[in-house]
Amino acid sequence: MLELDSVVKLFGTTVAISGVELSVRDHEYLVILGPAGAGKSTTLRLIAGLTKPTRGDIRVDGRSLLSVAPEHRDVSMVFENYALYPQRTVFGNLSFPLEARRVSRPEIKRRVESMASSLLIDSLLDRRPGALSGGQRQRVALGRGLIRDATVYLLDEPLSHLDARIRQDVRVQLKAMSVDLQSMVIHVTQDYREAMSLADRIAVLNQGRIQQVGTPDEVYAEPVNEFVATFVGDPPMSLLDATFVHENGRPVLKVAGTNISLPADELVGLVANGPTPPVLRVAARPTDVPVSATETKECCIPAQVYVSESHGYRNIVTIKLGDATIRVAAPPKQIWRVNDPIWLGLGMYNLHAFANGKAIYHPSVSAAGETIRPQRSFTAASTTGN
Amino acid sequence: MATVGLEDVWKRYGKVEAVKGISMEILDGEFVALLGPSGCGKTSTMRMIAGLEEISAGDIRFDGKSVIDRPPRARNVAMAFENYALYPTLSVYENLAFPARAAHWPNDRIDKRVREVASIAAIDKLLDRRTSELSSGQAQMVGLARALVREPTVFLLDEPISHVDARLRIDMRTYIKRLQVELGYTMVLVTHDQEDAMALADRIAVMADGRLRQLGTPAEVYDHPEDTFVANFIGSPPINLFDCEIAQAGGKTVLRRDSLTFDMPDQFLPLVAAGTLPGNVTVGVRPFHLTAGAGAGHGAIAARVVVVEPLGDMEIVTAEAGNLPIQVVIPPGNRPKRDETMQLALEPEYVLLFDRESKQAIHAPSGGSATARAAAALV
Repeated sequence: MLELDSVVKLFGTTVAISGVELSVRDHEYLVILGPAGAGKSTTLRLIAGLTKPTRGDIRVDGRSLLSVAPEHRDVSMVFENYALYPQRTVFGNLSFPLEARRVSRPEIKRRVESMASSLLIDSLLDRRPGALSGGQRQRVALGRGLIRDATVYLLDEPLSHLDARIRQDVRVQLKAMSVDLQSMVIHVTQDYREAMSLADRIAVLNQGRIQQVGTPDEVYAEPVNEFVATFVGDPPMSLLDATFVHENGRPVLKVAGTNISLPADELVGLVANGPTPPVLRVAARPTDVPVSATETKECCIPAQVYVSESHGYRNIVTIKLGDATIRVAAPPKQIWRVNDPIWLGLGMYNLHAFANGKAIYHPSVSAAGETIRPQRSFTAASTTGN
Repeated sequence: MATVGLEDVWKRYGKVEAVKGISMEILDGEFVALLGPSGCGKTSTMRMIAGLEEISAGDIRFDGKSVIDRPPRARNVAMAFENYALYPTLSVYENLAFPARAAHWPNDRIDKRVREVASIAAIDKLLDRRTSELSSGQAQMVGLARALVREPTVFLLDEPISHVDARLRIDMRTYIKRLQVELGYTMVLVTHDQEDAMALADRIAVMADGRLRQLGTPAEVYDHPEDTFVANFIGSPPINLFDCEIAQAGGKTVLRRDSLTFDMPDQFLPLVAAGTLPGNVTVGVRPFHLTAGAGAGHGAIAARVVVVEPLGDMEIVTAEAGNLPIQVVIPPGNRPKRDETMQLALEPEYVLLFDRESKQAIHAPSGGSATARAAAALV
């Protein structure tokens, strides 16, 4: 078990890491997800011992690492800028960590060839890094980092320079390999798909603070705040300003800039009352919003197509709802043109709600992981609680 | 605004043939993407349209009139690059007005045009700001809008958003698409990113090795790729492509690969009857077009689960049927486990066949395809 205990890192007066608490279990694949500048790489460098925390402690199995030199931490790190040995061939780069540990020649050959084949670089073994593309170099760096045994593997954006196609292939290979690694892996990325794909748990980091730690399913279905909700997902959820009021004695959610009011019995007791009401926003996953070209029981909110994009297996439709904008994922068969009328379904069955940025309500998720979509229109009185 | 015609256009750099006889007709007001990997000739093609490169052979016509003897200035082509190079000390308004002032437009015309373009590009609230105060996304939009002010005959976009971060890119696509629709410009986008091309273009010209492989709508290149290159280049996760031979089993014609047997999809049966199918084919099926689990039913094959990637809105399963690696996208829920055996069936109406020698698509007789039926249902 690796623990970060109240870790703070200042660079001059700049706060890079602001009181991070995180524990990583043995054999766990943990992905730190966040935008550029969130403090992800700094966190890795702190664990590797390349930089020291300003405050706080880093422990492995209860023992502090702070006085342990980097080379004695048994950490293998893959750097985003590769740091390959230019004079060595690809084979020589991959074999280096094994040679340094006096592994036998036949064993080195076997492990290098197996790693090279997993990372789709087996045809490049005789080349030097100077003769490789950025994506190829990155795969060599990844292979060199993973080829030897280590207590902790630290991977700093290891797939960022790969073409989309190869990235997917290497992602699958990395996931297959990670199952056999009897160690913990801490992987840093800005790509939520990469995080979801690989992680046992994801730690979402923003502005030096941990926002949420959870399984991919948890982070996706129950984001703790607006940042996580919009950082995870493609296209992201569209946040809509809203107010929670009672209309004719019924609790309703009024979406700003539109004339929509949705029954919102589910929010009773969740939105704090008081002299300063919270800033309320709601958002739905684009894949959870049903749309139709005609009014139906399920799709009864009229709106207008702003833009529709084809993605082959689906269309992404940007919709104008009064002054508000919402993106939905629609089946590929229906073709939408600019300014076409479109009807959509919104309600507490597909909306997440946030008060002052923090999540207060998530739509129910069935055991199968699919959002429950009750057979009712948004004007119906019945409710499905959380 | 104009039509753009390319007729057997060639570009040679010494002995290197960068563009090898491209012909296409871009309609007035159409948005066409030139899509392909690096070195496919897409950028050379765009530069020849702009007049930045001479053509080695062939002709380029705007509205039917040859432009190959005209210098770039006389072609009235606007180009937007990823590097937008705004004037940092000028306001957004003055940046937008700059090309019009250089063309000596009267002030009231400039003002009207700047406000019109700014409104469509959704930057009208930024007109008084200095460009040094803008976010990178806003600066990108100002750069694009500036190129539009002058009312170009043709608008060329060179990888305008390839290196923008993922979030911003989604918004940029929406704005660019909306701009194009509202202004009705003829636009040509150069990109290596199939997702940008699919999202933005009315038609996509897929290029490889200096040749045009296919020109079609996003749905056409996705559902009916003309060859295995296009099939593989379009779509994410990528299409499953595997070799099969045409064989007989139980009195039926089937697709066979080692111990795996697949029923011949109905739409190809007329070709079987006519005896026009080659003996060796490559089968193409997108990961979205396989049914997994209990629903697989008749004709299913057993596959061992190697990796499951939960992506929230879908799960990508990489499996092996015998020695055949195969990817399938399944809805969230009922997640299979590693090493579990899952039943997989091809959705026959979506199965594509390619001639293994020529790599060209084998066309099912018309009316047989899922898209054709869907299109017919829409009319």
